[in-house]
Amino acid sequence: MKFVDEFRDAELGRAVAGEILSLVEPGRHYKLMEVCGGHTHSIYKYGIDDLLPANVELVHGPGCPVCVIPMGRVDDGIALAHQPGVIFTCFGDMMRIPGSDGSLLDAKAAGADIRMVYSPLDALRIAKQNPDREVVFFAIGFETTAPSTALTLKRARAEGVKNFSCMCSHVTIVPPLRALLESPDLRLDGFIGPGHVSTVVGARPFEFIPADYGKPVVIAGFEPLDILQAIEMILRQLKGGRCEVENQYKRVVPYAGNLRALEVLSEVFELRPHFEWRGLGFISHSGLKLSQAYADLDAELRFSVPGLRVADPKACQCGEVLKGVIKPWECKVFGTACTPERPIGTCMVSSEGACAAYYNFGRFAREREVV
Amino acid sequence: MTIGATAEPACGSEHCITCGDDGEPMTVIKVDRDRGLALCADDDGARATVETALVEPIEPGERLLVHAGTAIAHVYRAEDEVAG
Repeated sequence: MKFVDEFRDAELGRAVAGEILSLVEPGRHYKLMEVCGGHTHSIYKYGIDDLLPANVELVHGPGCPVCVIPMGRVDDGIALAHQPGVIFTCFGDMMRIPGSDGSLLDAKAAGADIRMVYSPLDALRIAKQNPDREVVFFAIGFETTAPSTALTLKRARAEGVKNFSCMCSHVTIVPPLRALLESPDLRLDGFIGPGHVSTVVGARPFEFIPADYGKPVVIAGFEPLDILQAIEMILRQLKGGRCEVENQYKRVVPYAGNLRALEVLSEVFELRPHFEWRGLGFISHSGLKLSQAYADLDAELRFSVPGLRVADPKACQCGEVLKGVIKPWECKVFGTACTPERPIGTCMVSSEGACAAYYNFGRFAREREVV
Repeated sequence: MTIGATAEPACGSEHCITCGDDGEPMTVIKVDRDRGLALCADDDGARATVETALVEPIEPGERLLVHAGTAIAHVYRAEDEVAG
């Protein structure tokens, strides 16, 4: 594949793994967090953790947008989908997230008109094809996905599509990272930065991590060599006593991000005062809602939604997994009561979720040789 | 020039690129400048209509990173990396 194969070269991978081995200090334990669910998926798909010395531990961060959606938002979506005349549209993984009384998939089976879409543009197309129905798009995702929603809302406005609206559950990546860094039960040595969020926001928003917390950040791509090289770059910073934001993914990520996307985001969205994250609780200024200029396209204003907070199931330890405090297989219900077919927690639903990645790639527990 | 609608969406892969912080490199086949759209193909040849407002101007043959139906960045060869 063009521009991809060179990042899956096994020989180069082994060479970088050798470099990593030469950089670690025996007796020191390194905890590196990969922020993004896409990285978690790649790490277990390609067995990257097996190439690392035993004292380099990868901790899975909160960067799966499906996994952080709280139950109350799912319930709100289901309530909206049951309103007369509504066609409710959402991404595939979102349909299986459990609410307090079933998922969107269950609601679909019970008769609600819920349709899976691959992009917000598909939802807009459904609206144009069904002018006598109200079409609601359930928008989730980080800054990677939010521009797509924003452009679709602008297009709906420009094309005069009146029967289209958006239930916005977009989130931003920096506030949860700050919350994690403030968490007393988590000690991290560095971060593998989210590659595709950074195509939009750039590397600059992560500069507070070295500046305020003294931890290195390396923005990384999603191929095996990208991730290995990012780990090597973090370890090199640690060994050299440096901490800064470095960009391993320069072939895609400009340091300043995509300025046009940032402009569109600031036009269409504004920050919510608080947003609830599954397992992490309420985090200030971490969620987006439609701006005043686009309030007429806000489904939560157009329809009534319950807006109730629902506590996570007691058995589920997604919060600890999302904070990297426990490994997925350390959760009491992992692989028994909670499986990808019958998930209890969100981390088992999305393929980007740490639990699903562990489960699907058979990495329940392992022993490694200590350096 | 009008570019046709995408195929019925499917999300059956092991890796949900729409929901995760993931993007798919695609090659531009045709550009519809009037509508801000382009017909793009992934590495398996599957085609999709892509919103291009954030990466214009573009030309056929260029590589774009596509996420949720929107191109969010250009993809360059490692040796032609973007500045910064």
